[in-house]
Amino acid sequence: MASDAHTKGSGSTLGPRQYIQITIGLAVVTVLELIASYAGLGTVTLVTVLIVMSALKFGVVVALFMHLRFESRVFTQMFMLGLILATAILIGLLALFWNDSTDALGGEELPPWEHHGH
Amino acid sequence: MATATGTLPQVQEETTIWTWLTTVDHKKIGTMYGISGFAFFLLAGLEALIIRTQLAVPNGAVVDADRYNQLFTMHALTMIFLGIMPLGAAFFNYFLPLMIGARDVAFPRLNALSYWVFLGGALLLTSSFIFGGAPDGGWFAYAPLSDEEFSPGAGLDFYAIGLLILGTSSLMASLNFAVTVFNMRAPGMSMMRLPVFIWMMLVVNFLLILSLPVITVALVQLVFDRNFTTNFFTPAEGGDPILWQHLFWVFAHPEVYVLILPSMGIVSEVLPVFSRKPLFGYAAIVFAGVAIGVLGFAVWSHHMFTTGLGTVPQIVFTASTMAIAVPTGIKIFNWMGTLYGGSIHFNTAMYFAVSFIALFTIGGISGVMHASPPVDSQQQDTYFIVAHIHYVLFGGAIVGIFSGLYYWFPKMTGRFLDERLGKIHFWLMFIGMNITFFPMHFLGLSGMPRRIYTYDADLGWETWNMVATIGSYMLALGIIVFLVNFFWTMRKEPTATDNPWDAPTLEWATSSPPPEHDFDVIPEVRDRDPLWYDRDHGIEKVEPPSEMHIHLPPPSYFPLLIGLGVLLLGVGVLSHLALTALGVVIVIYSIWGWALEPTE
Amino acid sequence: MEATEAAHGEHHTSLGVDNRMLLMWIFLASECLFFGSLISTYLIYKGESLVRPLPDDVFDIPLTSLSTFVLLVSSFTMVLAVYAAHHNFPKMMKLSLLSTILLGLVFLGFQVYEFRLFGSEGLNLSTNQFGASFFVLTGFHGVHVGVGVLYLGSMLIGSMRRNGLGPSGGLYMEIAGLYWHFVDIVWIVIFTVIYLIP
Repeated sequence: MASDAHTKGSGSTLGPRQYIQITIGLAVVTVLELIASYAGLGTVTLVTVLIVMSALKFGVVVALFMHLRFESRVFTQMFMLGLILATAILIGLLALFWNDSTDALGGEELPPWEHHGH
Repeated sequence: MATATGTLPQVQEETTIWTWLTTVDHKKIGTMYGISGFAFFLLAGLEALIIRTQLAVPNGAVVDADRYNQLFTMHALTMIFLGIMPLGAAFFNYFLPLMIGARDVAFPRLNALSYWVFLGGALLLTSSFIFGGAPDGGWFAYAPLSDEEFSPGAGLDFYAIGLLILGTSSLMASLNFAVTVFNMRAPGMSMMRLPVFIWMMLVVNFLLILSLPVITVALVQLVFDRNFTTNFFTPAEGGDPILWQHLFWVFAHPEVYVLILPSMGIVSEVLPVFSRKPLFGYAAIVFAGVAIGVLGFAVWSHHMFTTGLGTVPQIVFTASTMAIAVPTGIKIFNWMGTLYGGSIHFNTAMYFAVSFIALFTIGGISGVMHASPPVDSQQQDTYFIVAHIHYVLFGGAIVGIFSGLYYWFPKMTGRFLDERLGKIHFWLMFIGMNITFFPMHFLGLSGMPRRIYTYDADLGWETWNMVATIGSYMLALGIIVFLVNFFWTMRKEPTATDNPWDAPTLEWATSSPPPEHDFDVIPEVRDRDPLWYDRDHGIEKVEPPSEMHIHLPPPSYFPLLIGLGVLLLGVGVLSHLALTALGVVIVIYSIWGWALEPTE
Repeated sequence: MEATEAAHGEHHTSLGVDNRMLLMWIFLASECLFFGSLISTYLIYKGESLVRPLPDDVFDIPLTSLSTFVLLVSSFTMVLAVYAAHHNFPKMMKLSLLSTILLGLVFLGFQVYEFRLFGSEGLNLSTNQFGASFFVLTGFHGVHVGVGVLYLGSMLIGSMRRNGLGPSGGLYMEIAGLYWHFVDIVWIVIFTVIYLIP
C-alpha cells in the first residue's frame, strides 16, 4: 500500500520502541493495581488508588495508542462527549439507587459460601 | 460508475423497482422514508380513531380490554418510531446535502441500509398484531408487567426485538448525518451559517447517538428477563423494576426532543421565507437548540415523580425540568420576532408554521405544570398528560411536518399542493385537534385515568369524551382532504421553478426537483442566507462548464441484503434460531461484498 | 495537526479529517454509553443479591489478571500493525495483525473458561443479581472482542490480496485499531471496577 505516513500529524513520533515502553508501563501499573488490592488498604484508599491507576491506563491507551493526542481536536471532543455523559449518567444512577429504600433487601449477612465443583 | 453531465437537458431516467431497491441517492431514500412514515402515521391514526370510538360513550363495546391495550401501545409506538421519526428523517435525508451544498451524505450505502433496517423493524413490530398479539404494556413497557410472568404472550418480545432493530437503524443514520454535517459543507458554509433546520437535526442526531445505547441495554435486559432466566426487574429475586424506568427514560426523554426539534427546525425555515425577513436571533435559536439537547439528558426522572424517588432527587429534577423551559421560550420569542414587522404571506405552509407556535406553547405550559411534583401527583397517569403529549406532538411535531410538506413540496415534486384544499385541510386539522385534545385537560383534572378501556356513566366524563371523539373524526377528515390534495396534485404537470418562494437557503439554488447530482456547480456560500445575499448583491448563479464529469456513487444491493439479514435475525429470535443463524450469515457475507465493491 | 489529503480517492472535507475515522470516533462515543449503562446496572445491584455466590466466592484474580495482560499485549501488537501499515512494512503488519487476532482468541478462551468455572461453582444468569449483571456485562464485552476478531480477520485476509488493503490501507488499519483499543479500555474499566474494587 502506498506510504501515507504524511497523513498523520507531524507530532506523531511514536515508533515500536516507544510502544514497547508504553506497554511495559501499562503492565507495571496493572501489577501495582494488583499489589494494592492485596495490600489490605482501607476501602476508600483502595478504591481511590484503583480508580486513579485505571484512569491513567485508560488515558494512556486513548491518547497514545488511539493517537488522540496527535489528531484533530474534533475526535477528542466527540469521544469526551460520550465519556463524560456516560460517567455523569453512571454517577446520577448510583446516586439515585445507593442508600435508597431497597437497601433493606438482602441486608442480613448471607450465610457463608460452600465451594462445590472446582 | 455513474456519471452525470449537467449541461445536457434532463434525461428522464427510467426508474424501476430495482432502481429504488438499490438506490443510494439521498433524495430517493428520503422519499421512501417519507412514504413509509406517512403510511405508518395513517395506521397509527386509525388505531387512534378506534380508541376514540371506544371511549366516545361510557362502557363502550367496540374493542375488549385486551385489544384496547394493544391499540394504545401500538398507537404510541407507531406514531413515535414509525411515523414522526421517519418523517423527520425523510426531510433530513432529502434536504441535508442540498442545504449544505453537498451532493450526497457521507456514507450513501449506510444511508440506504438505515432505511432497509428501519423497514424490517417496522414490519416486524407491526406484524405482531397477527402473530399472537401486539405488545400491550404501553409504549414504555414498565416492569414487572413486562416480564414473562405477567405478559406471557409474544407481544413484549416483538416490542423488544422490534425496537432493538429500529434503534440500530436510527443509530446508523445519525452517525452518517453527523459526519455529513461536520465534514461535507460547501466552501464558505461555516457552522454558524448552517440553516437552523440542519442545526436542530444535528442536535437530534447526537441525542440519538448518545441515548439509544441506554435503551439498548434496557431492552437487552428485558429480553434476558423474559427469555434467559435473569431477574433484573423481578423484585422477589432482588431485582428492581425502577431500574427499567430509569434506563427507559434516560433514553425516552431525549427521544421526545428528537421528536420535536425537527419541526422546530422546519418552522425556523418557513417563517423567514413567508415573512420576507431573516430569522430573528439566529444565534440564540441555535444555542437554545443545543441547550435543549444538553439539558434533555438531565431531566428524565420527571417521568417518575410518583415512584417515591425521594425529596432531593425530586428537587433536582424539578429544577432541571423548569430550566429546560427557558431555551424553549427563547425560541418562541425569536420566532415571534421573525414575524414582527414582516411582510407576511399567509399560505398553507405559513398557517401551519404559525399555529405550531401557538399549539406548542399550550403543550409547553401544561408541561411546566407537570414539572412540579406536587402538581404532577395529581396529573400523572391522567388525561391531563395525554393532553400535554398531544399538544406538543400533534400540535407541535405533526403540524411542523405538514408545514414542511407544503413548503418543500414544489422543490421535491415540481408541483404546488393546492392552496384552497390546503387551507381546508389546515382548518379541519387545527379545529379538530383542539376539539380533540383541549377537553382532555378537563378530563384529566376531573380524575379520568389513562389507559382504561372504558369508564362508567356516572363519573361525569361522558360529555368531554364524546366531544374529543368528534374532534378526532374532524382531524381524520382533514387528513383525507390532504390525501386528496396530494394525489390530485401529483397528476398535474410540474411547473415549479428553482426558487418559487424566493427563499434564502441552498436547496432553492437548483432545479425543482433537483437533478440526481443535486447541484451542477457546488455553490460558494457568503452568508447565512446565501440566496438572499447573492440576490441583494447582484451575484449571478455560476454557469456550469461545458464539460462536466460528476461521479456519483453507484447503486448497490448490499444494503437491501443486510436489511433482509437483520430482519431474519429478529424473526429468528422470535421463532426459530436457525433463521437467526441464516440472518447472521447473510449479514457477514453482505458486509464483505459491500467492503469489496467499487465505489467510484 | 490536520490530516492532509493523501491517498487516492479521499475528498476534501470541511474539518480536514477523514469521514470514516470521524464515524468511528463518534461510534465509540456511543459505545461509552452502552458499556456505561451495563456497568451502572452492575454497580446498582452490587450488594443486592439475595443468595450467594458473591464476587469474593468465585473470582479468581490471578486468572483474570492473566487474561487482562493478554488483552494489553494485543493492544501493543495492534499498534505495531498500524505502524507497519503506515510505514509500508507488509510482513510486519501481517504478523502483528495475526498476533493480535490470536491474543484476542486467547482472551476469549479465558472468558469461556471463566464462565464455565463460575457456572460449575453455581453462578449463572438466574442465580442472583451478581450473576445476571456480571454475565451480561462481560458477555457483551466478549461479543465485542469476537466482532473485533472477525473485523481484524477480514483485514488480514484483505491484506493478503494482490493489492493488499489498497492505498488507504493505513487509514483502514488505524480505524480497526481504534475499535480494538476501545475494547481493551473497556476491559481496563471492567477489570478494575468489577474484579478489583471490593
